[in-house]
Amino acid sequence: MNSSDTVREGLIPLLPRLRRLARALAGQVADADDLVQIVLERALARAAQWRPDAALDKWVFAIARNAWRDELRARGRTQHLFAPEEAGEMAADRASAQPAQQLELAMALAALPPDHREVVALVLVEGMSYSEAAELLEVPVGTVTSRLARARATLQAHLGKDQ
Amino acid sequence: MNPIDDDTLQAYVDGELDAPDIARIDAALMHDDVLARRVRQARAVRAQVQAAFDPVLEEPVPARLSALLQPPSPQAAMPVTPRVLPVGGHGIGTTRRRATRRWFVPGAALAASVALLAVGLWWSRSGEMVRMQGGQSFAAGALTRALDKALASEPDANAPVAIGLSFRSADGQICRTFVLRSPPVRAGLACHGDAGWSLPVLSAATPSEGGELRQAASALPPAVQAAVDARLRGDVFNAQQERAARDTGWR
Repeated sequence: MNSSDTVREGLIPLLPRLRRLARALAGQVADADDLVQIVLERALARAAQWRPDAALDKWVFAIARNAWRDELRARGRTQHLFAPEEAGEMAADRASAQPAQQLELAMALAALPPDHREVVALVLVEGMSYSEAAELLEVPVGTVTSRLARARATLQAHLGKDQ
Repeated sequence: MNPIDDDTLQAYVDGELDAPDIARIDAALMHDDVLARRVRQARAVRAQVQAAFDPVLEEPVPARLSALLQPPSPQAAMPVTPRVLPVGGHGIGTTRRRATRRWFVPGAALAASVALLAVGLWWSRSGEMVRMQGGQSFAAGALTRALDKALASEPDANAPVAIGLSFRSADGQICRTFVLRSPPVRAGLACHGDAGWSLPVLSAATPSEGGELRQAASALPPAVQAAVDARLRGDVFNAQQERAARDTGWR
């Protein structure tokens, strides 16, 4: 079996986790699955670059994070995919079906800057350690810690409103 | 004693501290209510973010994505569906420009609503083994009793709930996998916290040949296995550690 087949078959069980990470990064279901598609295409195209001694999940998650950053740049939006006010308006459409706290969380996540959102996605959603996230993001562990602390403070302020 | 700064407290909640620092904070928590509240808040943020996105693991993967990972065959070298983007194409969102506004709900909220619906449907048929609180699902009734008392090392073939693995998760909680034996057969993961056993994952499970679900990790549904993998740091408990954890209230 060549490396392309190994990567392709190894990606199948990772799809649910990849979709979860993409959802945490891109926010919307449609955008997230478009991101997953781009990630799968890139991973297959670069299968020869994957070394069997490296964890496939971390390799493909790094591709996902970089693809998401590329998309943000391509859209020319350096802060977030949509404005917080817009997120609130959209969330309000479904207010009757949503617990208030989930709405607050969704809005707060949507409003986080990319640096914070990707740390939340990797550590809180995917469950990586700080050092794993630091390696993937190519930043010092202290940077991960401080970004996560600030993201947490933002989220906590939103969640605290109705407590 | 030195005051505990936000970075240290966060590292405590995220399972990033070494034993001496954990012991220092554990000791401080005994008499510092303000610190205890900060820990609860930091844990709550983590739990809520997880609860918002973990349901994605339960969703069926869209065919257009799984099709990309099919072995290439002469007839299907280029999977073509209306939604497939060209390689290196226009990027996220361009395929959805005509999508109705209703689609543009933040993913977390939508995922949460899907999860609530799924849990609600199941709950109504399961004799109150699950309760909802603050948008999250928690164990109730017979499930709580099993999680509190049952040991995997002393299996009871007649119990309604079978316990699988127990371990301490990356964020410090003790988590246990379980299988509900009566139909609809479900497997899940429960993690112990201040509000009881939260259930980050519930999944349909397939009974094995004897009608009995094996408890080995290899038999867990993929969504539950993924949830375990995402939380596990180190080894799962052996029989002695499992008993000790029960005797100390799964703290």
